[in-house]
Amino acid sequence: MNILVVGLNHKSAPVEIREQLAFSTSKIPEALERFRKGFPSSEVVILSTCNRVELYASSPEDSLTADAVLEFLSRFHGLEKEKFQEHMYSYYGLEAVNHLFFVASSLDSMVVGESQIVGQVKEAYMAAATCEATDKTLNKLFQQALSVAKEVHTKSDIAKGKVSIGSVAVDFAKKMVRDFSDKTVFIIGAGEMAELVLKSLVDQGTRTVMVSNRSFDRAVALAGEYGGKAVRFDDLGEELFKADIVISATAAPHYVLHPEHIREAMKRRRGKPMFLIDLAGEHRDINPEVIKIDNVYLNNIDDLESMVKQNTDERAKEMEKCRAIVEKEAEEFMAWLEEMKIGPAITHLREHFHSIGKEELERLRPKLRGVGEEVWQEVVYTMERTLNKLLHEPAKVGKQEAKNGGGYRYVETLKKLFGIRPTDHSKTAPPNPSGSV
Amino acid sequence: MSASLIYSPFFLITALYLLSSVWGLGNLLRPEGFSKKWADRLPIIAFVLHSLFLIFLTFKTNNIPITNLFESMVFLIWCVVAVFNGVGYLYNVTALGAFLFPLVTLLSLWAIGLMGHPLSAPTNLGKFWLIAHTIPLFMGYAAFTLTFTLSVMYLTQQRQLKLKVFGPLFKGLPSLESLDVLMWRTLSLGFPLLTLGLVFGAFWMRYSNALGPQWYLDSKVVMGLVTWLIYAALLHLRIGVSWHGSRVAALTIVGFILVLFTFLGTFFLGAQHGFQKVSQEDVRLIKELK
Repeated sequence: MNILVVGLNHKSAPVEIREQLAFSTSKIPEALERFRKGFPSSEVVILSTCNRVELYASSPEDSLTADAVLEFLSRFHGLEKEKFQEHMYSYYGLEAVNHLFFVASSLDSMVVGESQIVGQVKEAYMAAATCEATDKTLNKLFQQALSVAKEVHTKSDIAKGKVSIGSVAVDFAKKMVRDFSDKTVFIIGAGEMAELVLKSLVDQGTRTVMVSNRSFDRAVALAGEYGGKAVRFDDLGEELFKADIVISATAAPHYVLHPEHIREAMKRRRGKPMFLIDLAGEHRDINPEVIKIDNVYLNNIDDLESMVKQNTDERAKEMEKCRAIVEKEAEEFMAWLEEMKIGPAITHLREHFHSIGKEELERLRPKLRGVGEEVWQEVVYTMERTLNKLLHEPAKVGKQEAKNGGGYRYVETLKKLFGIRPTDHSKTAPPNPSGSV
Repeated sequence: MSASLIYSPFFLITALYLLSSVWGLGNLLRPEGFSKKWADRLPIIAFVLHSLFLIFLTFKTNNIPITNLFESMVFLIWCVVAVFNGVGYLYNVTALGAFLFPLVTLLSLWAIGLMGHPLSAPTNLGKFWLIAHTIPLFMGYAAFTLTFTLSVMYLTQQRQLKLKVFGPLFKGLPSLESLDVLMWRTLSLGFPLLTLGLVFGAFWMRYSNALGPQWYLDSKVVMGLVTWLIYAALLHLRIGVSWHGSRVAALTIVGFILVLFTFLGTFFLGAQHGFQKVSQEDVRLIKELK
């Protein structure tokens, strides 16, 4: 039973190529069916996300190779193979298993440790299982991949520390605010970035939202989305004191909030702390002097970005630990796969021995014409006993080897030793070591 | 049994408080090396031993264990750890231990330094009033010790937020709002207790003559009153004027220094507050008489 993966991801291919090879959810059942028509005894799962397109397949046939999969992709998408071939990678056997576990554990993701990919792997597997495109091997492989992902996330800090601006802003806010539900968030400049942070804060339980924008219509629209109140830009100073958290992200080329604004607001707030987030880029919105005011806190986009970087670096440090978990699990999977192979291999060996025995007996029979039936039966019996005794040890050792992960090698050795014709094709080496086809 | 032998278990308890400090700080700064489990568990083990030690002293002296400065200090520390465990149980602030136990360890070392101090309470003090006066006061002081610790945490976190230092201490400390709320709660726990202790003390002095007729001029009484005024002002500023955060925190630190001074400092200025100087000679004489 051979396992292989052929695919491309955000590292190996530009977005245009990824888009051309992507499978939409509705197209996947058709693709699975067509693939299985081409390779009747195969199992297949297609994982298609915005950052990767991968086809996992398993087959007992020799004909299923990376090249064949590339042909399939080319035909399915109506694309010339040469156009995307150089961006593709392919792995066989243990390497393929390793790769899937790596992907599912979010170690191969653009944002390492993000949790979305586990769901996507699960969906891809469910889609294939529903179409009956998977069997014993890929069922086991994908179920184990999902459990490996869980193990990696619980046993390492790979998913610890937020790595998006919105969630880092929430992390900062959490150092000031205990309970978000009774806090008011004031958005100045209803841009995409501000909305992103607002959404994260609303997820934390913030209920009161106020939005102010140069264009009032846009403020009304965003406020409406979150059941908040739109404030005219000129009334900003008047309403500011109500805010516990202020998010400012205007495109103004000058400060929008000055220390006087904040001082006035703090007076009206009777000293209740105020947390300001300045998301504006080069031209800041909030005069950094406000930090001198008691109980006023200010973070700007650079602080948030440096925190994102710090967390990303920490995740990278966890990589080695995760790699070890993944590799151990991949080897366990291969051991299981090998155990599956040992049974048939021993049967082959048994058949091989007994057919030789039978041949020899047939050659002997005419020479012993004078011998009575009873004695002949004794000869046949002795032959079978001898063969079974000889077979006993290889069978026993085979089971042990399979348990210890050496099943594959063992089967190969048996084949070589006894010249058994190959019926089981399990090559692990990819066509070229770099991995790209 | 000599006093030093009776008191020797306190060395072990102090060591455990030191360990709690180290583990608590470790858990705050490098959680992967110092498990939260032990950061939570060590203070409880130390507290249980401390409690047993106090029970032992109570039986030994047949009085609440505040018969000399060492015992008073040990009792105060016990109250602090008791209030800490209560707060920890209710609000689960792991980082609090990391800040409190270094202080507890220092107080314990100070207590050890007071072991041979000659001031000790006369045995004829009325037990009812003694308990009614001291227990609320000690618990009140303990609550203020926590307020103080929380203030230090508040100011630390605030400083980091203002200066944008985002180290491990930043990540480990709870939100300013949580700290502010807890400061407020411990303050509102401590103040009524302090008031109660002082009122009972005043009543007591009306019926007994332990501090003489001019008991209200005893420096510890005066300082007690000053402490009360500071905390009363603090509560007023917090409720009435709505002071928040940093200024409250700074003032509670002043309050705590006063608490420490009232509690022990006055003795070093010559106040006796019902305690009497017992020289080693006296101790030997009393023993011989017995």
